[in-house]
Amino acid sequence: MRTLGLLISCRDASRAISQMQDGSVPMPLHLRVRFHLLLCEACRRFLAQMRFLHAAMRRYRM
Amino acid sequence: MTDSDFASRCNSHRAYLLRVAVLQLRDSDLAEDVVQDTLVAALTGADTFSGRSSLKTWLTGILKHKIVDAIRRRAREPVATPLADETQLEDMDALFDESGHWENPPADWGDPESALSRAQFLDILELCLEKLPPNTARVFTMREVMDLDSAEICKELAITSTNLWVILYRARMALRQCLEQNWFAPAGRR
Repeated sequence: MRTLGLLISCRDASRAISQMQDGSVPMPLHLRVRFHLLLCEACRRFLAQMRFLHAAMRRYRM
Repeated sequence: MTDSDFASRCNSHRAYLLRVAVLQLRDSDLAEDVVQDTLVAALTGADTFSGRSSLKTWLTGILKHKIVDAIRRRAREPVATPLADETQLEDMDALFDESGHWENPPADWGDPESALSRAQFLDILELCLEKLPPNTARVFTMREVMDLDSAEICKELAITSTNLWVILYRARMALRQCLEQNWFAPAGRR
């Protein structure tokens, strides 16, 4: 991801958040995402929605 | 329990098994075959069913193996749908502006957990899954329905981990949008 320092875009954060559902992402990226989430309500919603989607799929397969 | 009791209990899960198989394989004939194989394997292996898990879970476990076998066999055949369109990111960029901000930021879904107990919600979820492109649906269900880990999926489908995360990202973005439009829409019924 083409980013310097702590700032990443919503686009890059959303990609990383999806990857985090399947395993870990490298620590520097993880920290950037955490920092981004502090500042960005839209991406906090996105993260909550990804967690919900996972829960919904668990329900679906039961 | 007699054999015929066990057979009819297994058979009562047939419709569910078929739905999972169709979603996974996108081929109703092949899905029928796979479910048939699953039920035959269940009956011949009835004594290995310990009753520790539910019958449905046990059958789903057998189905999982049969589906993976079917995918593996099909992977050796020419791929009907090219994977290329489903492993690139460029068109996803349209969801963001030039500086990488959301064009349409995710909406507030309120208390989504309450939807989970509603049968109509699961119907909408299924509808959204069916709208995914075939390979995307297959990969997403391997991950989220069959609960395979990333390494297993890459190995089964002979794709790279980059391909995998792009496909899963595309699936999640599409499902998020579909659920928002059809269930959580702020101007919607709920």
